[in-house]
Amino acid sequence: MAEFGALSSFLVAAVGLAVPLALAALGETVSERAGVINIGLEGSVIWGALGGALGALALGPYGGLAAGALAGGMAALVFAAFAVWLNTDQIITGTAVTIGSLGFTGAVFQSRFGATGLALELPTVPAWEVPLLAQIPVIGPAFFDQAVTAYLAYLLVPVLGWFLFRTRRGLSLRAVGESPEAANSAGVPVVRTRMLAVVFAGLTAGLAGAHLSLVHTGTFAENMSAGKGFIAIAVVVLGRWNPKGVVAAALFFGGAEALQFALQAVDADLPYPLFLALPYVLSLAALAGWFGRSRAPEGLGSAWPRG
Amino acid sequence: MAGALRLSGVTRRFGPVTALDEVDFALAPGEIHGLLGENGAGKTTLARVAAGILAPDAGQVEIGGEPLGAGGVGGARALGVSMVHQHFSLVPRFTGFENVALFDAAAWTRRGMGSPGYRERVEARAEELGLEVQLDVPVGRMGVVERQRVEILKALMGETRVLLLDEPTAVLAPQEVEGLFAVLRQVARAGAGIVLVAHKLDEVLAAADRVTVLRRGRWVLTGEAAGVSARELAEAMVGAGVDGGGGGVGGGDAGGPGTVGGGGEDVPKSGGMVGEDAPKVGAAGAEQAPEPRAGDDVEVARLRAVTVSTGGPIPLRGVSMEVRRGEILGIAGVGGNGQRTLAAVLAGMRRPDSGEVQLPEEVGWIPQDRSEEGLVNEFTISENVALAVHGSDDYRQGPWLDWASVGETAAALVRDMDVRADSPATPAGVLSGGNQQKVVTGREFLRSGNLLVAESPTRGLDVKATIAVRARIAALARSGERPPGVVLISADLDEILELSDRIAVMVRGRLIPVPREDHNPTAIGERMLSARGDAAP
Repeated sequence: MAEFGALSSFLVAAVGLAVPLALAALGETVSERAGVINIGLEGSVIWGALGGALGALALGPYGGLAAGALAGGMAALVFAAFAVWLNTDQIITGTAVTIGSLGFTGAVFQSRFGATGLALELPTVPAWEVPLLAQIPVIGPAFFDQAVTAYLAYLLVPVLGWFLFRTRRGLSLRAVGESPEAANSAGVPVVRTRMLAVVFAGLTAGLAGAHLSLVHTGTFAENMSAGKGFIAIAVVVLGRWNPKGVVAAALFFGGAEALQFALQAVDADLPYPLFLALPYVLSLAALAGWFGRSRAPEGLGSAWPRG
Repeated sequence: MAGALRLSGVTRRFGPVTALDEVDFALAPGEIHGLLGENGAGKTTLARVAAGILAPDAGQVEIGGEPLGAGGVGGARALGVSMVHQHFSLVPRFTGFENVALFDAAAWTRRGMGSPGYRERVEARAEELGLEVQLDVPVGRMGVVERQRVEILKALMGETRVLLLDEPTAVLAPQEVEGLFAVLRQVARAGAGIVLVAHKLDEVLAAADRVTVLRRGRWVLTGEAAGVSARELAEAMVGAGVDGGGGGVGGGDAGGPGTVGGGGEDVPKSGGMVGEDAPKVGAAGAEQAPEPRAGDDVEVARLRAVTVSTGGPIPLRGVSMEVRRGEILGIAGVGGNGQRTLAAVLAGMRRPDSGEVQLPEEVGWIPQDRSEEGLVNEFTISENVALAVHGSDDYRQGPWLDWASVGETAAALVRDMDVRADSPATPAGVLSGGNQQKVVTGREFLRSGNLLVAESPTRGLDVKATIAVRARIAALARSGERPPGVVLISADLDEILELSDRIAVMVRGRLIPVPREDHNPTAIGERMLSARGDAAP
């Protein structure tokens, strides 16, 4: 049973680390399906973490989650206003939003709590144990004894799959991402579709950030997003722009990170950062088409001038 | 009763270019209306305005008597307008069925794709129209003909009052064209009005009840297809006046608006030089060598039986020609008959499938699409000049580019060509189309020691810039001791007649020489149409 215990606690850590990646990446999947690559996702995550912290202090942990999602959505709205509405370059705009967000959140945090370095204590979101399912050996506690954010991520997978592939709005959104010209000539409002898709990604990325501050750590620290937004973009690639694939890829990245922590603990001979690098190698392989011929939406990153 | 579609005084501009200039157009229910014109005449723009894709800058669009207003694509669609585009209207990764469903609200229920029976309705409609389509194959994997069928099926799924087709025959073989027209007649019989955009006369005359001709964004004529001759239409399209020395073409006020510098023998300003030279070229037929002006009978380029049949829509079939120093060889023809392929061969950008090509080492080339192929918009004028001359020793200092010399050359170009720019450091992209063309023209002159290929060099330019560019080209061919030979490819018959020493007509990839005595609009126009009875491709 001892090995089971180790495996089980590894899985608990892996799922916990995968949840924020899955949330941000599922949103980004929608955004990229609409043809917008939002490098500013990292900005939404850090705003979500701070918004979650401030919201939780005022309204309690669940209010904090909502505030975090909203804060992430606002950051994405800034990105969308430039990159979609004003047609600025998506990559450059996203980078600016990320760097700006890291700076602004740090400034807001310091002005509110000072630069003392004293750890902030936040009310955390408790885990909900799902009756019966949580009793399944090994995977039960990992998947069914998590905070509400994890269940939201699970729920998003079928919902987004249905939306993207079974509804008219989903088809329209994918058409916008594949060929904005064709979508426009079919009467799909390209700019509005893209704006909404980007803001949706911001909401889920904000929720991912709030998960970091309110579920994972119970505190806020500057730069605590630590590249989660960027990793989420890699997760989308590895998951091949498909909600099911994306959630599997998020678990894989989460597992690699958890393994790295585990190896640090047992003091193995392997240089542990290697396991952090592995998922990226696979992402590149996925981009190169080694796992089948699913490529990025054709209009990804393309401009669409209004009028 | 209300017509199917009515445009009144519609104007649409793209930056400095007026694509449609107060155009009126009316379409009756149940008619097939051919919309003719050269490339750039405004046909596609008119169709896109009617489909709500482009908003007019001025004027009114009415569909079935209802004003379209600011309804956009959705509004036009709701009023029963659909359009079959030449490009960009299918999503390649989506299946045929998905592409059809994307366009049609009836395909969907609140709960998702596949409202009951929709799939069956699509299949039934396809069969009814005789359109064979594989509905579950991604469009990107279909051939061009099948893609067009998807496009047409998509357009005809809803209730259609107006069907607009933009150059639908451009991709089709003759038998397929017949099939398409059969579909269109069936749709028209059901009461829809159809606008058939094309620039090939014979096709339009075969299918249309009425025709309208546009030229340079303006309305030129509308008439019963049975009541206008192909010749009248051709002249209306290219803008050759019937008033010149053309010799008795009846009817049709074809010399209307939009022509530059008059037509036929009535040669204005810059044409003076040609006028003086013309007698010297004398009675030489196109087959024989024309008498060289400067006593310099040197061939600078020669094509023998050049055939290009791969990689492009318009092939070349056994084209032979030679170009001599100091002459301007004009190549006329309705756009899309292989001129661009010929230009690419002459510019050394295209290797023929068979035949013999002799070209000078460096060729000046003024491409038709100057902002895409001619200039790097983000580069300054100097940098664009440097692109063309950087191989020359005159602009090198050891391994480095001699920017001082490049700058001088660019400054001289700006001055000589009368480019309206602050300095040679102005980015090419901020210049107007006319000034961009002057930069390209001036720059290519630098390279055209032996041969200059000018492809529609005045297309889209205003009157003043047109005169200036033509004068430069005429002067170049008469310059100095060793002037280059010039190949002038243009759909503008006025331009050809004004500048050329020799003329040939390009029709369906063949080059037909025009003897000197036939250098008039009527005789050239007949040759432009001559392929109607010619061996089909």
